[in-house]
Amino acid sequence: MRTLLGAIWAIWLREVKRSIRDRGQLVGGVSRPLLWVVILGIGLNPYFRGEIYGEVQFVVPYTYLQFIFPAVIALNMLYTSVQSAVTVIWDREFGFLREILISPVPRWAVLLGKVLGGASVAMFHGLLVLSLAFFANVSLSPGRVLTGLAYMALLAFGLTSLGIVIANRLKTFESFGVFSNAVILPLYFTSASIFPIDPALTRAQTRVVFPEWLITLVEINPMTYAVDKLRGVFIGFHQFDPRMGPLVMGIMAVVFFTIAMIDFRKA
Amino acid sequence: MAVSSENPNIVEVEQLSKRYGRVLALDEVSLEVDRGETYAILGPNGSGKTTLIHVLCTIHRADSGTARISGYEVHRQPRQARKQIGVVFQEPSLDTRLTVQENLDFHGRIYGVPGRVRRARIAELLELVELGAWRDHLVRALSKGMQRRLEIARALVHDASLLILDEPTVGLDAQTRARMWEHLRELKRLREITVLVTTHYIEEVEGCDRVCILDHGKVLTVGAPAELKARHGRMTVRVLPRDEDAAALVKSAYEGVEQVGEDLVVPVADEAATEKMLAEHGARFRAFAVQRPSLEDVFLDLTGRGLRDQEAGSRDRLLAAPRSGGEPIR
Repeated sequence: MRTLLGAIWAIWLREVKRSIRDRGQLVGGVSRPLLWVVILGIGLNPYFRGEIYGEVQFVVPYTYLQFIFPAVIALNMLYTSVQSAVTVIWDREFGFLREILISPVPRWAVLLGKVLGGASVAMFHGLLVLSLAFFANVSLSPGRVLTGLAYMALLAFGLTSLGIVIANRLKTFESFGVFSNAVILPLYFTSASIFPIDPALTRAQTRVVFPEWLITLVEINPMTYAVDKLRGVFIGFHQFDPRMGPLVMGIMAVVFFTIAMIDFRKA
Repeated sequence: MAVSSENPNIVEVEQLSKRYGRVLALDEVSLEVDRGETYAILGPNGSGKTTLIHVLCTIHRADSGTARISGYEVHRQPRQARKQIGVVFQEPSLDTRLTVQENLDFHGRIYGVPGRVRRARIAELLELVELGAWRDHLVRALSKGMQRRLEIARALVHDASLLILDEPTVGLDAQTRARMWEHLRELKRLREITVLVTTHYIEEVEGCDRVCILDHGKVLTVGAPAELKARHGRMTVRVLPRDEDAAALVKSAYEGVEQVGEDLVVPVADEAATEKMLAEHGARFRAFAVQRPSLEDVFLDLTGRGLRDQEAGSRDRLLAAPRSGGEPIR
């Protein structure tokens, strides 16, 4: 048991050390939220609560900056989690995978160490965003932060597993870079993260305001519910059933980890 | 464990076969390695050496047959078998973005070596492979030879009783190669380990206790180098006769004399026969050289071709080109 924990710790430590040494990843982790919060958030702020011609368009009682803030946390974690799985390809490409495969550590422990490592780094990048809360006019209480961290951890675990599932199916770094972006950005854009779907409208009404395909995309995107939960925790605003968030994040973590596990067994 | 101490052979391979598509990489290979010996598997590229190693380190499954390490069946008890072995693969398998120390530490932790033992052993091994000064450097700053030495050190951070090296000297210059073998000998003096090494460099095999010659997935012969040479090679004397008469005399006095240019190659049975020849005919020769059989001759005798003849086919050369940094391999 001690040996097993030691092994998981070693694998975790390696993932974390590697990403700390990777300046590029850190720069991305800092610049991404700044870009979204400072440039996009502040820039779009005045257009958000559209009292155009004296008519309030949306009933979201928050500034755009506040609205987008929890979503940027999710975005930053989404990027980092999925990208951290690149070590899976790296290990395979540069032979380090063999060192792990011939060790007495069971495969599930190797995978768990990797996922926890990637998730920890993602948590760190999520915290970077959280530290910008003051600038986004989001007031944090210790209770909110703790609840938020718990959900962030659950989300990071699921997303890192997703990254590993993707990495297991791709052969080269290049394709992983392209593919992960092709997964990350659509997931983010269709998660009701940068534009709200008015919770006051009924399902039928939403489909009148927005094109139907877009609503469908938003509703089937698991990230929607994760972002919604974080929003609920940090600014107390929900567009969907608050119980959906934890449920969907839990399912994501279990399903993606299981798929990754099956892949690892075969390796 | 009772199984391992009662069993004298650290490696037992029985009737192992492995097929890749249409190629039979291992064809009913059986071999045994005794505890404490240095056992070499010699064969040209594509002879099945690496496949055999991969089966032994539980990376690949054999199609049929069994392989046991210290009594543990590699298919059924892979984790116990893995604890027994330290492996240095043909291709590097270090994390070049971690330091020397971190690579060794990672290995120690995943093999469950307790902290104090781990630290002591890492320090000791780094001294041995002369990398102590590089402890905190990133591995990518190390030369190829140094990385190889680090991999050998790493394979021994845990309590491995068997050290497996797959072509450990490929891609290293002659001096580095010699040094690596020195380190291995030093290691064997310090710790009770068995070394199983594959190579296609004949000169490296000479110092090993036993050699197994593998070709096209089949074991051709096993034995100590001297024994193999005695069995399959022949000792010859190469002489340069003083004149025609001398040449004629030698040709009539001995059987199987071959003319090579002006020289005559005379097969002899042993040292005594050589001395007798020198005593009887010494005055008739201008030059006299004893040629002892080499393992190259053994291989030639067994397969009818030299080990180097097909060492690298054009396809292998093409595949190997990126590894040597684009330099064509001759």
